[in-house]
Amino acid sequence: MGARNRREPCRRCALPLSRSRFLQGSQDNVIQAFAFYLFATIVIASGALTIVSRNPVHSVLWLILAFFNAAGLMLLIGAEFIAMLLVIVYVGAVAVLFLFVVMMLDIDFAELRAGFTRYLPFGLLIAVVLLCEMIFAVGVWNFADIGPDTRMGTIDPDMPNIEAIGRALYDRYLLVFEGAGIVLLVAMVGAIVLTHRERGGVRPQNISKQIKRRPEDATRNTQPEVGKGVEL
Amino acid sequence: MPETIAVDLAEYLPILLFLGIALLLSTAFVILPMIVARFTGASKPYANKLTEYECGFPAFEDSRGQFDVRFYLVAILFIIFDLEVAFLFPWAVTVFDMGWVAWGAMMVFLAELAIGLAYAWKVGALEWE
Repeated sequence: MGARNRREPCRRCALPLSRSRFLQGSQDNVIQAFAFYLFATIVIASGALTIVSRNPVHSVLWLILAFFNAAGLMLLIGAEFIAMLLVIVYVGAVAVLFLFVVMMLDIDFAELRAGFTRYLPFGLLIAVVLLCEMIFAVGVWNFADIGPDTRMGTIDPDMPNIEAIGRALYDRYLLVFEGAGIVLLVAMVGAIVLTHRERGGVRPQNISKQIKRRPEDATRNTQPEVGKGVEL
Repeated sequence: MPETIAVDLAEYLPILLFLGIALLLSTAFVILPMIVARFTGASKPYANKLTEYECGFPAFEDSRGQFDVRFYLVAILFIIFDLEVAFLFPWAVTVFDMGWVAWGAMMVFLAELAIGLAYAWKVGALEWE
C-alpha cells in the first residue's frame, strides 16, 4: 500500500491517497474506522427502527437520523458535497414532506399494521432480490478487479468532489440534467394540479389594487347645511 | 476497512467539537433539572395528579391532528426549488472552465423551472388565502 504513488487514487473509493491521512499514523486510522462503524451501526439501527416503530411520526424521525448518519458516511469517503446535499435536501425537505404526508393521512395505523404478516412474504422476497443484486454487484466488482480509472466520469482524483460532479454533470450528462429539470417541472405542475383548489368566499389581499387606490377615490369632502345629514 | 476511508477528518474537528458541546449542553439541560427536582421536591405521583389538565377540559382527541393539504403543496414547491439550488452549486464552481454549453444548459434548466414558477404564480398556488 505504502509503495503506491500517493497521487494514485485509492482503489476502492477513487480518492487520492494524498488526501488520506491514514498513511501518517495508525491513530487517525483507528478514529476513522471508529467513525465509520459508528455511523454505519446507527444507519442500520435507525433504518430498522423506521420499519418497526409503531408510530409513523417516530418512523420519520428515525429516518431523519438515518439520513444524518448516511451524510456522515459520505463525509468519510470524501463526498462532501453529497453529504451536505443529503442534509439539505433529504433532512431539510424530504423528511418534512414525509412528516406532512403522515400528518395528512387519516388512517387507523393499528389497522394498517394488522396486514404486516400478510405482506411479510412479499416484502421478504423484495429484500432477498435486493440483497442478491448487491451481492452480485460487489462480487463482480471485486472479482473483475475494476480500477477507478476505468470507471465512467473519473477525472482528476485531486479535484474537489463538487467540481468533479459539475464537470461530469454539465458535460457528459447534460441531457440527463435537462431531463431532471423536466421531471422537476412535471412534479411541480402535478402537485399543484392535484392539491390546489380555489376556496370560495375568501377575500385575498390585492396589493396592486391597494396601491392604486387614491385618497380621492376613498374620501369625499362635503359641507352639509345645519340640520341636514350627509347622503352616503 | 481502512482502504475505504480516505478523508482528512481533522478538518472536521471544530464541527465535532461543536456537536459534542451541543450534545453535552442539551443533555445537561435535560438531566440537571431532573436531578435537582429529585433532591429538592417531593415525588408523590398518583393517578389524579398525572392526568392531563388543560383549562379544566380532559384531552378528548388524538394529539395527531390532520394537516391541511396546502402544507404539502408548500413543502413540495420548496423541495423543487431546493433541488434547483442544489444543481446550481456544482455549476457555479465549474462554469468558467466549462464554457458556453454548460452555461446554456443551466439557462435551459432555469427556464424550465421558471415556467413552473410562472404556472404556480398564475394559478395562485403561492398564495395562502
